[in-house]
Amino acid sequence: MNILVINCGSSSVKYQFFDMNKKTAVAKGLVDRIGMSGAVLTHRPAGRDEVKVSGEILDHIIAVKYVISILVSENHGVIKDISEIHAVGHRVVHGGERFTSSVLITDEVMKELRSLIDLAPLHNPHNITGIKACMANLPGVPQVGVFDTAFHHKMPPMAYIYGLPYIMYKKYSIRRYGFHGTSHSYVSERCAEIMGKPREQLRIITCHLGNGASIAAVKNGISVDTSMGFTPLEGLLMGTRTGDLDPAVILHIMGREELTLHEANTLMNKHSGLIGISGISSDMREIESNAAKGLGNAKLALDIYCYRLRKYIGAYSAAMGGLDAIVFTGGVGENSATVRKMTCDELKYLGVELDEEVNAATRAKETDISSRNSSVKTYVIPTNEELVIARDTKEIVEKLSNK
Amino acid sequence: MPLNRIVVVGAGVMGQGIAEAIATTGTDVILLDRTAKLAERGIDRIAENIDHEIEKWGLTLSDKKAILSRIAPSTDLQVAKLADLIIEAIPEKLRQKRELFQRLDDLCPEETVFITNTSTLSITELASVTNREDRVIGMHFLNPVPKIPVIEIVRGLKTSDKTYNIAREFADQLGKTPVQVYEYPGYVTTRVIMPLLNEAMHVLMEGVATAEDIDTAMKLGFGFTVGPLAMADMMGLDVVMSQMENLLEELSEHKYNPCPLLRKMVRAGYLGVKTGQGFFKYDKEGNRIKGETPFVKRERG
Repeated sequence: MNILVINCGSSSVKYQFFDMNKKTAVAKGLVDRIGMSGAVLTHRPAGRDEVKVSGEILDHIIAVKYVISILVSENHGVIKDISEIHAVGHRVVHGGERFTSSVLITDEVMKELRSLIDLAPLHNPHNITGIKACMANLPGVPQVGVFDTAFHHKMPPMAYIYGLPYIMYKKYSIRRYGFHGTSHSYVSERCAEIMGKPREQLRIITCHLGNGASIAAVKNGISVDTSMGFTPLEGLLMGTRTGDLDPAVILHIMGREELTLHEANTLMNKHSGLIGISGISSDMREIESNAAKGLGNAKLALDIYCYRLRKYIGAYSAAMGGLDAIVFTGGVGENSATVRKMTCDELKYLGVELDEEVNAATRAKETDISSRNSSVKTYVIPTNEELVIARDTKEIVEKLSNK
Repeated sequence: MPLNRIVVVGAGVMGQGIAEAIATTGTDVILLDRTAKLAERGIDRIAENIDHEIEKWGLTLSDKKAILSRIAPSTDLQVAKLADLIIEAIPEKLRQKRELFQRLDDLCPEETVFITNTSTLSITELASVTNREDRVIGMHFLNPVPKIPVIEIVRGLKTSDKTYNIAREFADQLGKTPVQVYEYPGYVTTRVIMPLLNEAMHVLMEGVATAEDIDTAMKLGFGFTVGPLAMADMMGLDVVMSQMENLLEELSEHKYNPCPLLRKMVRAGYLGVKTGQGFFKYDKEGNRIKGETPFVKRERG
């Protein structure tokens, strides 16, 4: 069985094409900078040269078209015909309380997904666009949605109920949902495997630091708390998002600047975080290089980013009654030795100590970066949400054909 | 089925707003006007408007690029041949609109739906010059189009249910809430708001309260986001007057008589935000400047 896994982000489409008989991705790639100048499709067929195709890739619909056509292209493709795509697995950001595990996409499911757009305005529309684009290009091919929120659905109520009138939860399902669940689940599982212990006996903090960033407390294999909340806006400082913020602040700004709901939403989701503070970039690589040169507020942005991360690690250690391992993953977590070092520097009291040389040398590779004396293990584990999505998709599609 | 091929005829303020709203929701649009200069100026204005939105945190630079990439200028009416929908947003002159609809009717395939953005003219009359009277409908967008979430969908006497449903679907595609209106002078929005603005001007003229206080009373008292006098300034006092005159002409009731103060201000060339002076004063960017206009003070005696 061949499965195409699609992960539509706010400005990117990541894809992997899996041959599930071999359980490997025979091609993967990324359409990046969608809607910006220099949009490019990078296609990597396994064991062959990387191919880059640039073009005016203005939205996700066009991006998915590019992906499908390169998969069947004569020179760079991995299949001869689109009929060899047997199923598509989609990362979907918000599953609400309705979706606690992966699901076959039907008209009914699409309707329910659309009703969840308000909960994740920055992501669900792109996910839905991706699903629609695949449906249009691959009619009749089963599609499966795998939810970012699913892994967190076992959180206890004390972690997911906000300090609002309880009726708000009943009326509008306002609660913490958490996101990046597929990633937190995968890296915590890998972490346990590396440590040679069952995940059910470990207290792991997983830091998924990408363009969006979240942290989860995984106790005995269950996500018991996580930093993103009702939407992916809460928690850590992110590339363009505020993270934690006194909610009265936004009401105050809306009054002072006479902002509409939409404008306030865009302010918090797209104009804040690293780019808002630094005035330079939402990209951690640029923040680091500018911080080193002392430009703008880059250093301040970097400090806030790492400080808040460290506070959460302290909080989640307390929440779990101790800590066995920390995992860094996501673009920033896997590649930024600076962020890892700045975050862990003050955590010796918890038993966290990095091997500075190993840390400095580690980029996007599964590595134990803790020092020998460290009682808490710290790992860099590249996330592989796509593999999890492909596995779930296969399982659901197989059940379908057995019916 | 999404409506993908859309042509907006007329690159003035309404045409710009409609094209921007279409492009913002991810659909390509052709913005057409008589000369390349006019069409391109329309797109420049859209870009300025987006810059303003970015300053107000509503959009980002990448949004701007994506939106502008979806709008193409044109001067060739032949592009209408390939359109699913044609939206007319040229000046409110019956003769011009009739001529345009006749030409479009000759050019376009039978099934193409014509939408007019008129706020005062009769849809039924405009439709009568075509051979597709059932496929002509009004969509009254309010200015500024990208920000106002409602559209009046106006049915002419012969507009079909099918055409109405296409217009509704289009409103959904734009993320706007449609209200169904049967053709009648002023529809709902113009008919109800104009006498309100006119009455506020009477209150000012009669010296009951200052312009500032009239607006404050209405804003805080009834939850208006903009007071009636500031709203009239934004719409343009000449526009308000011609809307009132139109209602008066069509419905022949005394209550639609433009307030004498409004007439006087229009004659003086005080047309509101666009001239820097109306009931209030404005700078070049259209921002309110503190202080009332001396003109209005004199009026109060």
